[in-house]
Amino acid sequence: MAEETDRRIVAELAARGYNADREAITLIAGTPDPEDAIERAVETVSADALKVTGEQLRGLFEDERRDASPRRDANDSPSRASNPPVSPAKTDDEATNSAETVPVEAEVDTSAMGDGRVPVESGRQLVEILGDITGQSTGTGEYSDFVTVFRDRYERLAGKLRRRVNHRPADAIQSMPGGGNAEMIGMVNDIRSTASGHWLIELEDTTGVFPCLVMKDREIADLVNELVYDEVIAVRGTLADDAGILFTDEIFFPDVPHTHKPNTADRHVQAALISDVHVGSQEFAADAWSRFADWLHTEEAQSVEYLLLAGDMVEGVGVYPNQDEELSIIDIYEQYEAFAEYLKEVPGDLEIVMIPGNHDAVRLAEPQPAFDEELREIMSAHDARITGNPSTVTIEGVSVLMYHGMSLDEIIADLPEEKASYDDPQKAMYHLLKKRHVAPKYGGKMRIAPEERDYLVIDEVPDVFHTGHVHKLGFGTYHNVTAINSGCWQEQTAFQKSVNIDPDVGYAPIVDLDTLDVTARKFT
Amino acid sequence: MHEEDERYFERIESRLDEAFDRAERARERGGDPRPEVEIPVAKDMADRVENILGIPGVAERVRELEEEMSREEAALALAEDFAEGRVGEYETKGGKIEGAVRTAVALLTEGVVAAPIEGIDRVELLENDDGTECVRVFYAGPIRSAGGTAQALSVLVADYARTLLDVSEYQARDDEIERYAEEVGLYDKTTGLQYSPKDKETKFIARNCPVLLDGESTGDAEVSGFRDLERVGTNNPRGGMCLVLAEGIALKAPKIQRYTRELDEVDWPWLQDLIDGTIGESDDSDEDGGESTEEGDVASDPESDEPAGPPRVEPATKFLRDLIAGRPVFSHPSRPGGFRLRYGRARNHGFATGGIHPATMHIVDDFLATGTQIKTERPGKAHGIIPVDTIEGPTVRLANGEVRRIDDPAEALDVQNGVEKIIDAGEYLVNFGEFVENNHPLAPASYSFEWWIQEFEESAANVQALADSPHVDLESPTVEEALDWAVEYDAPLHPNYTYLWHDLSTSEFEALADAIDGAEVTAGELELTRTQVVREALETLLVEHRQTAETLSVPEWRALVATMGFSEELIREWDSLSEEAHAWDDGTNAMKAVEEVAPFTVRERAPTRIGNRMGRPEKSEKRELSPAVHTLFPIGEAGGSQRNVAKAARHAPDMRDTPGEVEVSIGRRECADCGTRTFRGDCPDCGGNTFPHYECPDCGTELEPDEAGRVECPRCEVEGTSVDRQVIDLDGIYHDALSAINEREGSFEMLKGVKGLTSSHKTPEPMEKGVLRAKHGVSAFKDGTIRYDMTDLPVSSVRPEELDISVDEFRRLGYHEDIAGEPLEHDDQLVELKVQDIVLSDGAAEHLLKTADFVDDLLERYYGLDPFYEVSEREELVGELVFGMAPHTSAAVVGRVVGFTSAAVGYAHPYFHASKRRNCDGDEDCVMLLMDGLLNFSKEYLPDKRGGQMDAPLVMSSRIDPAEIDDEAHNMDVVERYPLEFYEATLELADPGEVDIRLAEESVGTDDQYRGFSHTHDTSNIALGPDLSAYKTLGSMMDKMDAQLELARKLRAVDETDVAERVIEYHFLPDLIGNLRAFSSQETRCLSCGKKYRRMPLSGDCRECGGTVNLTVHEGSVSKYMDTATRVAEEYGCREYTKQRLAILDRSLESVFENDKNKQSGIADFM
Repeated sequence: MAEETDRRIVAELAARGYNADREAITLIAGTPDPEDAIERAVETVSADALKVTGEQLRGLFEDERRDASPRRDANDSPSRASNPPVSPAKTDDEATNSAETVPVEAEVDTSAMGDGRVPVESGRQLVEILGDITGQSTGTGEYSDFVTVFRDRYERLAGKLRRRVNHRPADAIQSMPGGGNAEMIGMVNDIRSTASGHWLIELEDTTGVFPCLVMKDREIADLVNELVYDEVIAVRGTLADDAGILFTDEIFFPDVPHTHKPNTADRHVQAALISDVHVGSQEFAADAWSRFADWLHTEEAQSVEYLLLAGDMVEGVGVYPNQDEELSIIDIYEQYEAFAEYLKEVPGDLEIVMIPGNHDAVRLAEPQPAFDEELREIMSAHDARITGNPSTVTIEGVSVLMYHGMSLDEIIADLPEEKASYDDPQKAMYHLLKKRHVAPKYGGKMRIAPEERDYLVIDEVPDVFHTGHVHKLGFGTYHNVTAINSGCWQEQTAFQKSVNIDPDVGYAPIVDLDTLDVTARKFT
Repeated sequence: MHEEDERYFERIESRLDEAFDRAERARERGGDPRPEVEIPVAKDMADRVENILGIPGVAERVRELEEEMSREEAALALAEDFAEGRVGEYETKGGKIEGAVRTAVALLTEGVVAAPIEGIDRVELLENDDGTECVRVFYAGPIRSAGGTAQALSVLVADYARTLLDVSEYQARDDEIERYAEEVGLYDKTTGLQYSPKDKETKFIARNCPVLLDGESTGDAEVSGFRDLERVGTNNPRGGMCLVLAEGIALKAPKIQRYTRELDEVDWPWLQDLIDGTIGESDDSDEDGGESTEEGDVASDPESDEPAGPPRVEPATKFLRDLIAGRPVFSHPSRPGGFRLRYGRARNHGFATGGIHPATMHIVDDFLATGTQIKTERPGKAHGIIPVDTIEGPTVRLANGEVRRIDDPAEALDVQNGVEKIIDAGEYLVNFGEFVENNHPLAPASYSFEWWIQEFEESAANVQALADSPHVDLESPTVEEALDWAVEYDAPLHPNYTYLWHDLSTSEFEALADAIDGAEVTAGELELTRTQVVREALETLLVEHRQTAETLSVPEWRALVATMGFSEELIREWDSLSEEAHAWDDGTNAMKAVEEVAPFTVRERAPTRIGNRMGRPEKSEKRELSPAVHTLFPIGEAGGSQRNVAKAARHAPDMRDTPGEVEVSIGRRECADCGTRTFRGDCPDCGGNTFPHYECPDCGTELEPDEAGRVECPRCEVEGTSVDRQVIDLDGIYHDALSAINEREGSFEMLKGVKGLTSSHKTPEPMEKGVLRAKHGVSAFKDGTIRYDMTDLPVSSVRPEELDISVDEFRRLGYHEDIAGEPLEHDDQLVELKVQDIVLSDGAAEHLLKTADFVDDLLERYYGLDPFYEVSEREELVGELVFGMAPHTSAAVVGRVVGFTSAAVGYAHPYFHASKRRNCDGDEDCVMLLMDGLLNFSKEYLPDKRGGQMDAPLVMSSRIDPAEIDDEAHNMDVVERYPLEFYEATLELADPGEVDIRLAEESVGTDDQYRGFSHTHDTSNIALGPDLSAYKTLGSMMDKMDAQLELARKLRAVDETDVAERVIEYHFLPDLIGNLRAFSSQETRCLSCGKKYRRMPLSGDCRECGGTVNLTVHEGSVSKYMDTATRVAEEYGCREYTKQRLAILDRSLESVFENDKNKQSGIADFM
């Protein structure tokens, strides 16, 4: 019923040629006579204003509200009332921003009169962010920082495996008598094949290393193919007679429990999960983007209240040699300005969350802190939430692990084709969930900035896992976790052509947060 | 052959024989891995081929075939021999093909380079999908040294042998074809190919090639598309394969076709499509584009667009790529003020070198020295710099405003600090042969004396009379004479008075004319009112002048005003310039104006400028392993990080341990006489020779190598080994060695051994040799020899005086006549150098003296023989023999020392360098003292890995046969003067093939093949200018870079912003990015035991020894260039793009290395 009221208020204001922000609608809806309030609100704001804001109305309705009895109905969710997500200060920002977004808002206006999108009621959208490195980077690049981060990884992932095995430290196993059973939780230090084709996995814990042999004809030998360096696993097996090696019978991953039950929203609301916009590239698919933005304004997209961006907002500068020759915008700040303009094309009431990627102007080493103040200023449109890579974002009770996805390249390179490939990027994501770590392999192409804890560990099982980076669309579920790799908004580059990658351009996967169903929409 | 040449070679060979006999006697004594000298003498190419391959009978067959046919045909004929089993003892088809392919490559590379042994891993047969068998050739990286033609022909030979042995063609699978395309592209990107085939071409070759090209993985890059293929063993690029496919088959298709056409069995009809270039052209959308036109080509069709301009070659910018800090740019592409192309060959020139005036070397802040390599715009890619003082020096503006040309190195040094601007870099001498070698169209020549005199001779003037006159200097006449001759005989104006009118715009020309119009002559000098345009015009023209605040004084003005159409009284004799003159070259070139107003013909003074930058500095240094090694004896970790043998001999980690007992991997040998087991080359019991002793690693059975040298256990079917982990008594060995040669520990500072041996048998060197090396201050290379590296430079004629040698000594060396045929009597007479004679740098001479002392000591004390050299002064080295030996080759060339130079280079006859397969574009290679090589080299020391046989003297050539050297040297011109037609042809941008100038190749195979290397330009000394480049004398990288940018500011032809931009782009940014990446994915290392960890151990400490582990990449090495790069970007006005990249990196560094929570923030910190 409250929703209905809000929608009517919006429609009425729109009919008078005004848009309104969330606070304004809440204030009007809170008055005893909303219709009257609309009339008075319109009188209050100047004639050439295009938007009714809460700030303008606050003085007008403040007293009435205080005096008036609460409007809330019995079926109003109490949590919503107790969780005012938007602080007044933020509202101020919005009010300021509205001036810049005039053309876009005007367009919303007209469509609102037809069968288009109706602005979303303020106060509905709930966003909570966890695991963000931004402002928390304490590492100074010392050796001890590296040791700390790997130990933290080991401890936290080992914690998830302790229920499965009875861990014996490596040095304790070394002194055990031969022939007995042993179980160990360790970080994969080395994987090699023996002369006779068996596998030797060296597991490491804080006391040392121990070699575990996996016979090639055992069923678990197939699991060795999916192991990568520096992930944490547990093994169970029998010690050799000289206790120098463990004949492995079982391998356990930290994994997502089969019984995992994802949270869902308690209303029908949707989120669009995109990434890799690459504004500034000559290959940026501006038309597809605009079609996407236009669609968001339609009634069909009415329920899309969230837009998650998993990195690579812009093409960046100096990402690869002679990149300037392939840029349409050479200046990095102008790239972000252009991106901000494109972002303004989407409805102003969308709740936006974004993390950086490898093309963005932040450090490449993971975890990546969010954009700095200067860039936030530029991208202030829609008051987007700007957080680090990775971050866990909870919207409407549904937790979304957002990670740009740089490690996917390594996973795809290291694992056999059928287990992970560019054509099925979600399969590579499953492995990350299974390993409970977004970028397990150290060295090689992965860059790690040592911090006091390992921000890349997947501590809590997310309901949705969202990545990008490989420019391929793919989604599916793994142990009830929805994994989504967004496509991109950049046409095939010369480099991609040379390595045989055909990107999925202009797709927006839309998640129903109440059912976690995914629909991929195409805008090319 | 001339009798004198024969005597020369006999002399060398007799001294070689003498040394060889002594060395043989020494080696028989038994301390060495083999009881004989291990560098066989090869009299000719056939010998070398056989020796390098180690296949008996090849040499004889090669000699037979060479009589009848070309080398390429011989390679194919040998393939038949191998297939039919007449040569080589191979049983399998794969083995036979392998022998044929190796031999072909050896033959085509004259048995010098290592490609036949290192570049071909093996040949196997593989099953096709239809069940037939095909040939699979595994190439390795060193195939590169074979060159494209030999690479391509190796495939052809494999195919030919295949047909003879009735093996099927390779049937490529689709994914394999795609893989080839991706892989070749990847290799091109990561390593670089001379020729980058289009994907379609690669696929076309892969589909049609009847032989499967395979190879070892090289490099860490991985293909991303076509991975884990069943029949491709790696996801990395296979470098050898990529080279053979791209630089071999794709690039050399026309050459292969010549041979396929002659063979009935082999039919490669698809080559025609490759040659026609039609592959991949039908469908442009599939191309990455942009490569269609090779830059640096000649401007197309000069007549096409009106109004016209003069003939010019197009600027090429390729040489500026990958500019690095500290190595200056001397001229941007084809810019006025840059080096002016002059044609000619100086006596120390040709064969990929460039001549500049020594004054220029000083004026560019000493960055150029004899032997410094430069990357050049044309005609080739790189040149070694040589000093020539018979060309023009630089023109500079001094701080007081004076503009003058400097033709004297001493004057250059005097004014060096007062130079405000280098208006012109001077002339750049390039010989005609360079254009032939690079097949580069001739670029318009500078107007120079050698051209002018020929035009003057064509005129009515009696040039002979003038030349004979004691009052006339034809080369530098007075201005009156020059103007007289120009007017009277209708010859073009003498070059000394020809200014650079083509650099002046017509409007500047008019402005200058206006200034002259109102000027006066004061005290014999033309005095012009000083304005910016007039001052700049004079500078552009390179007219020497002085300035005051108001005036510009030109001392030598007569030719200037005459050329501009003024009388001597400064009366202008024309009204205005024609439309045509204004339109010529878009008004940027006043040549047409001059043509209209001058009363005589004026030529373009310097129509071609050559851009260049410094490549690498010259080199003259001893070659040392790192850390330096005195003895190839393994001591494990016991000697500490310095590998100190004495320390290892006392090493006892524990109280209970016996000092000096060290466990190492070492070869097991057995005495041929008494059967005693030892690791030594001589039996400790009976003194007999010992040989590797093989056992089966599984069952311990004693094994003997079979005829092919393979050792396999018949029971276990595994390869036998002669290597053991043994505990050796280092203390005993060390002190025995000292007493054996009666040497005390105090006679040397430190004796350094090696951690472990890398050779297949792990044969150690006798410790005694190391002791003596340590005593004489020399160190051993991986093969036991002592080496000295020098940059190669050519010289065809020398003066005894410049080599620090007396004329008497020179006569004793067999030189009797100077180049004019006069008897050799004076130190300053010019004599033609003999082909195997070399000039040592001062450093090389000193090092070889030490080596000679070591060798003598070794002969006396270790081998118990007479000393061989007995030298105390370097003069005594003259006449001694050395080995010249280049990397990537396996054959040494015998040379003879004839003198010394202060330049840090190795000057030798171009043929000597060519016989080592080097040219002189900055390449460097080494010399070894003959006796040292004979005594100390052993194949058994060579590392047992890919490339291990490279750079090792597996064979020596005692005599250079000009027909068997790198034919690049044959393209050197050997005349005294280039004809007039040549200069005229340059204006037509003619193909060098259209001009007839005698090249060295014309005498190859004749009696005169060792003589007659004339030159067009002399130089007073072959070591002028600075001895060392400033690059080597300046201290830190920052100092070098500051000097580089400072020089960029001074040089008129250099855009300093571009230099700064490139230094940041190609040096600082890659360094910063690379190190930041390395930091965040780095290995760690134990500070105590050196153990490396891929990742930080979870225990924190070393798992091996408990020691402290630390990072291998620290913050300091990551951010070292950050501040400098930022400063340079600001100071030199770099692009915003560059500055932003730096700013982003700076923030990344901050984010990684700074604690957010301790960060100083707040406005106060930034104020």
